[in-house]
Amino acid sequence: MAVERAAGGTSLIDVLDRVLDKGIVIDAWVRVSLVGIDLITVEARVVVASIDTYLKYSEAVGQVSPVSRPQAELAAHQSVIAENAALRAELAAMRAPQLAATRAPRKRRTGARRRTVEG
Amino acid sequence: MAKTTKRATAASARRKASTPARRAARAAPAVPARGKLERVRMPAHAARHRGEGQAAEDSNAGRYVYCIIKSERPLSFGPLGIGSEPTDVHTVHFRDIAAVVSNTPMVVQDPTRDNVLAHQRVNETVMQQHTVIPMSFGTVFKTDDDIIELLRSAYDAFTDVLNKMQDKFEFGLKVLWDRDQIIREIEEDDEDIRRLKGEISSQKGSTYFARMQYGRLIDAALQARSERYVAEIFEALRDVSVASRSNKPIGDRMIMNAAFLVARSLEQAFDARVKGIGQRYDKLTFKYTGPWPPYNFVNIRLKLERAH
Repeated sequence: MAVERAAGGTSLIDVLDRVLDKGIVIDAWVRVSLVGIDLITVEARVVVASIDTYLKYSEAVGQVSPVSRPQAELAAHQSVIAENAALRAELAAMRAPQLAATRAPRKRRTGARRRTVEG
Repeated sequence: MAKTTKRATAASARRKASTPARRAARAAPAVPARGKLERVRMPAHAARHRGEGQAAEDSNAGRYVYCIIKSERPLSFGPLGIGSEPTDVHTVHFRDIAAVVSNTPMVVQDPTRDNVLAHQRVNETVMQQHTVIPMSFGTVFKTDDDIIELLRSAYDAFTDVLNKMQDKFEFGLKVLWDRDQIIREIEEDDEDIRRLKGEISSQKGSTYFARMQYGRLIDAALQARSERYVAEIFEALRDVSVASRSNKPIGDRMIMNAAFLVARSLEQAFDARVKGIGQRYDKLTFKYTGPWPPYNFVNIRLKLERAH
């Protein structure tokens, strides 16, 4: 299909998706405080709590929610399978202790999906 | 006017709730803490500069902040400000950085359609000439001096981020698919799935296990296909962008919800690449937006701290 670029302001959803909690963010309660409090008389000031920039290329994978089962259940199922495998390995190691000494224990895989690191 | 009373009450209630230590500190403004004398002097200074009557001050006493830019000279961007009667958008400076602001009533702005689009419109305008660090929606300061104080205390952070974002834009790319169409394709391509589907429709007895198996295979095939598409698209845009971020897809038609940080000099190359991808994947739908301020690539959290 032909892809056309739309200016930022044309989709309210896209704007909301960005402006509500991205960029420079002041906590909501501070935002309210700024209105009610005279910063000068209460001797409070706004300072930077944290700062992050994301300058790496993310390696994302597609995310599809399954047709037949909720994602949570699928994840639980996979973790049970992984645990099962780990237990089997452990059991095998106990049955053959002399072998276990030379074999590294099997590590469970963790699903590191999104990696965004400060550049 | 009723509003004013309410605000005044709220403020005084908060003052009453303040600690004795704080009250003592206020009562003795001569304490020679650094920066403090200046702060005590500010109200008079600010009032003198405003030189407005109480009513005028009331309706436009606050400063709505849109973004931070690098600029040493005062700028005006025209009557684009947030609110029903758009006010002039201008700059408040500290050294070589500036906040882009407009005068606004001292209220918490609701993220209505008009307000949110006004916020975005100002950022888009400023972005044409300047590198911006966008402010999230709804930040109102009481005085220019408060803004200068923020610029001063966060000067290093803002300067660092402005340098990192120098001449870069953000572009949004959402990719959607027609799930049913993809499932039909999968059924055509995959022999096992086709056979199972045949079994389910022809079998007389229980088809429970066949249906479970079918569902599992379809899930796996959909997942694999979406991962492949997304990986290919990211790969195709890698050398025309500086960075990318992947947000959670919204809804079950979306398989990719990404933002790309693109150098001004590579904007056209990026644009051409996205359009090329659109032609290559004729079964996918692309929602391509921008340029945006680099919302997805900067996160600066501000907090309120008691001044000592």
